[in-house]
Amino acid sequence: MPTDIASFFGKKSGKPKTKRVAESSAAGSTVKKQKKNTKPKDVEEFTDDSDIIEIDEPVVNKRPQKSTTRSRAAKIVEDDEDDLEVIDLDDEPKKPVKKPAAKKAPNKKAAPVKKEAPAPKSLASSSKKSFTAEDALAMIPDCELPEAQAGEKVNFWAKQSELKTHATDENFTKPRGAPDCLAGLTIVFTGLLPHLSRDDCEYLAKQYGAKVTKSISGKTSVVVLGEDAGPSKVAKIKALKCRHIDEAGFCQLIEAAPKEGGEGNEAAQKVLEKRKEEEAKAKADAEQEVRESEMREKAKRDKLLKIQKLRESDPRASTDTYVKSIDRPDEEKLWTVKYAPTKMSQICGNKGQVEKLKKWLTNWNSLKSKGFKYYGDSFPASLISGPPGIGKTTSAHIIAKEMGYDIIEKNASDVRSKNLLNQTIKDVLDNEGVMGFFSKKEKTTSKLILIMDEVDGMSSGDFGGVGALASFCRKTSIPIILICNDKSLQKMRPFDRVTYDLQFRRPETKAIKSRIMTICLREKIKVPPEIIDRLVEYTKNDIRQIINLLSTVSKTVPELNDKNFTEVIKGWEKNVAMKTFDITSRYLSSQIWNNNSKVSINEKIEYYFDDYQFAPLMVQENYLNVNPQKAGSKLESLELVAKAADSISQADLVDRKIHSADQMWSLMPLHAVMSAVRPSSFVHGQVMGRINFTSFLGNLSKGNKYNRLLTDLNYHTKLRTLTNKSELRMNYLNLLAQKLSVPLMQKGAEGIEETISILDNYYLTKEDWEYVLDFGVGTNPYKLDIVQKKIASTVKSSFTRKYNASTHPVAIYVVGTAGVGRGGASSAKPDLDEAAAEDAEENNDEDDEEEQDIKKDKLIKQKKAPAKRAAKKTATKRATTSRKKK
Amino acid sequence: MPPLILELPWVEKYRPKVLKDVVGNPDTISRLKVIAKDGNMPHVIISGLPGIGKTTSIHCLAHELLGTSYSEAVLELNASDDRGIDVVRNKIKQFAQKKVQLPPGRHKIIILDEADSMTPGAQQALRRTMEIYSNTTRFAFACNQSSKIIEPIQSRCAILRYSRLADAEILHRLLEVTAMEKVEYSNDGLQALIFTAEGDMRQAINNLQSTVSGFGFVNEQNVFKVVDQPHPLVIRSMLVAANNGSIEESIAQLDKLWKKGYSPIDIVTTSFRVIKGLVEINEEKRLEMMKEIGITHMRVLEGVSSYLQIAGLLARISDLS
Repeated sequence: MPTDIASFFGKKSGKPKTKRVAESSAAGSTVKKQKKNTKPKDVEEFTDDSDIIEIDEPVVNKRPQKSTTRSRAAKIVEDDEDDLEVIDLDDEPKKPVKKPAAKKAPNKKAAPVKKEAPAPKSLASSSKKSFTAEDALAMIPDCELPEAQAGEKVNFWAKQSELKTHATDENFTKPRGAPDCLAGLTIVFTGLLPHLSRDDCEYLAKQYGAKVTKSISGKTSVVVLGEDAGPSKVAKIKALKCRHIDEAGFCQLIEAAPKEGGEGNEAAQKVLEKRKEEEAKAKADAEQEVRESEMREKAKRDKLLKIQKLRESDPRASTDTYVKSIDRPDEEKLWTVKYAPTKMSQICGNKGQVEKLKKWLTNWNSLKSKGFKYYGDSFPASLISGPPGIGKTTSAHIIAKEMGYDIIEKNASDVRSKNLLNQTIKDVLDNEGVMGFFSKKEKTTSKLILIMDEVDGMSSGDFGGVGALASFCRKTSIPIILICNDKSLQKMRPFDRVTYDLQFRRPETKAIKSRIMTICLREKIKVPPEIIDRLVEYTKNDIRQIINLLSTVSKTVPELNDKNFTEVIKGWEKNVAMKTFDITSRYLSSQIWNNNSKVSINEKIEYYFDDYQFAPLMVQENYLNVNPQKAGSKLESLELVAKAADSISQADLVDRKIHSADQMWSLMPLHAVMSAVRPSSFVHGQVMGRINFTSFLGNLSKGNKYNRLLTDLNYHTKLRTLTNKSELRMNYLNLLAQKLSVPLMQKGAEGIEETISILDNYYLTKEDWEYVLDFGVGTNPYKLDIVQKKIASTVKSSFTRKYNASTHPVAIYVVGTAGVGRGGASSAKPDLDEAAAEDAEENNDEDDEEEQDIKKDKLIKQKKAPAKRAAKKTATKRATTSRKKK
Repeated sequence: MPPLILELPWVEKYRPKVLKDVVGNPDTISRLKVIAKDGNMPHVIISGLPGIGKTTSIHCLAHELLGTSYSEAVLELNASDDRGIDVVRNKIKQFAQKKVQLPPGRHKIIILDEADSMTPGAQQALRRTMEIYSNTTRFAFACNQSSKIIEPIQSRCAILRYSRLADAEILHRLLEVTAMEKVEYSNDGLQALIFTAEGDMRQAINNLQSTVSGFGFVNEQNVFKVVDQPHPLVIRSMLVAANNGSIEESIAQLDKLWKKGYSPIDIVTTSFRVIKGLVEINEEKRLEMMKEIGITHMRVLEGVSSYLQIAGLLARISDLS
């Protein structure tokens, strides 16, 4: 090993190195038994109270009348919030969820020990049963529930931040308890705990066998409440009267609760039993698989022997078919291949979708003969979508194989442009498989199926591929399965109407767990179940990733356990560039700014570089929608916003240096700090409402458009106004708008002459009439939409007609700008028509005002029709496009 | 005329040939060693900063796995090769389909260096190829940022993250090289080399060679002359002093740097880097300081690169506290 650098250089040197060591050792030694001043020893004194014991137990018959409705309500709320809650499958649905009994207690026989806590402590009277986790829980007084009414959110926040005293207690150590001491409890964490991070809490709870859920429901045994708990959660706690404790209480709970949830704790027992069952099942599965694989091996050996014999007896005999069928030995395969499911029953998760796919494929021919209806499952093609690593391709292949199809697969590694698809795939679509003829088994009337993998991977090289594929879907005579990751992409739109949509989800932890346990057993690696849970969590339910990880790690580490787990897992978290919206919400929510968050400034800057074009714009768009956590009062919050705004504006100066001719790209980190990190360091807090996409781009193009229009107006009126653009905008347009709209609004048809004469006077065209009014903003009474409403439609059309009926002076004629060419109908030259048509179409795209256009277009068409054929053509085209648009 | 001596750059000359020689990241390397021994290499992604041995260890692994058939069974593409979607669809796929006689447990290897510069489209096209031909072909990716690799590929691979090399590890290798090249050195010279390399082995060896060829003797002064970077420790003490309000001390440190002839731009950029990692100062404060330094950076870039500019920066920083 290398010489220790510190000793090499003496004390002065090696600063970074020693620091790193110090850090890691500090991190490693945090788990230490904590001595609390609370006395869990009192425990034995508490006895009885079956009410409390059975908090999370579904098999309870004693329950208040109300609880049915309430629990249903709770269920609904739960569904609304998120579906993260893992509902115990063992619970029979008809049995209403029991409301935690503890909270009923105070009404009955409560004699609060502590003033602020309606302590259920007193309940614990005498029972013969031994002490359980629930008893331990019952001893811990409820913490104070923050007062929060829906209406007074600001007060709540203010209060919270006043109360905030971020304890940086160095002495804090993680609590340690008996194994599985929390079994049977369902715990919800909310808000920010003073010492433990959310991940730590959840891990602690899980480690001790508790179930951790995200939303509060009737089944929740206890809520661990931290600072800044969401008002809705607090309200729910109140509504459901859940037990709620603070961090200290939680630690106390872990330390006090007995092993395996205490004897006689049915809920805990049940959980433990279930776990044992799971393990047993995994073992059985593994053995089964081992047997099967041995059988396969044997078959293979037999085959080899046979070949050898054949060769011996008849050296000329073709052995090709045999040789091909013999694969490489299992040891040489990737684990992901080795343990890939081979039967439908082995597919992990998405059972429903797999069944649906199978049903669809089974019925395909009958559906086809009836004609596809394009609803329900009556589609010629199906589209499987879902995140990577959850078995989409595998499912499609297995099902197709089980149904006896010959598979044609195309994926992103094949060119799939329109031309090539037409050449290669099109002919296949009405073919019959030929493999059936050669297969040994009879009766396989071979059918073909086309599996198009990674459809969303069609890129610019695959020109027209998506459209061609969608059209194939309509006229195919064989089933097609399309597979993609993200169905919501723009380019996947064409498939929306023609495919049977099957969305695959990430399989549940449970399903993955049993599969992984099987693999571990077969590969003889020791991995405890809780570690598998964490693996699943880290990889975001990506089963392929877990298998890959295990296969690599197992080469050097025979056993995964608590100690080496974090080290192993560290590098394996998938590292995907964040999406713009995620970046924004990360910046603005207080999570990364907390004192105990481990996100360094460097990492915060890195977020910016994940999407450096949009991150600043998004922060700028949304920083006002945040309730600053730091602010105690409205004034303070204004000050924070002002600071943020200041920083953003300075960032704009930096941006100018970067993107202008100076090209000072070395300032990018500064821009990151000024435009994103610093503003959000001020205003971070609770994000109110949704994160909006930046409106900058839209406004920019709007601004450009107005600028263009103003240039036109300036050209047209130049002879009369003799001014520049900004003067025109500031001094003329308002008055012109008034002059041009008031006669029409007040006098109706009689005002038309007057309006036209003003237009002619300023050399404005009919289009300019609209543009002038379009410049009205705010409460301007002559805004286009207001004026449009006030003028009767008959007046409008006769205005148009009258205007078109006469010729008008054109002072300055600019080619290629909006509204040109139609200014004077008489002056319109045929060869300009095409350009004008294009321009008009462009205008139609931009302006939402159509009615006028159509009429005008029609009129022009009538006028021009006899004159030029070409003109007519374009005019008709124009008319139809605008009508279509309408 | 003396005969022209052609010599490889030391980085190439002392590039490790076998996994055993690769320095740093002992866990990961030991894993690779086991793979090299047992065969059946999984698809791997190796990510990490430049100069820490990513490419080298992949090459070593491939050599140890395939031995003499290396030239036949390895396809290596890096950012200098065209790696558009067409190449993936043609060249890579054809190579994956190619049949090569290999001992059991060995597979063809496709090495994609600097994979983070591949377009997402090309990466998409790799996905299914990786799976279909996994029985004969394995992929190895090397990249600086694993986030630039699309998620589906990450999901198919074993991800190995290389961390920065520890100073002791760099020192160890530097001592070996100096011994083999018979370089004269002083301790503070090596220390300076390690400091400026910031965990980048390639940089350390390159700097060593430049110092040797430029001055012959490796000591602190010569190294910093070659590297031409203000010493981060000096910068650090300058900033800390300013932060503590002792402006005189801070200016004294600045004078030290100034006399050595460092340009303001070097001082400012190093300051920005140093302040990012200065965890002793709380975050809010650091952000303010970064703002001041950044703004000064901007002004320096605009052309006002005077001593007064930097002194002003220090004054503003000390004013913050």
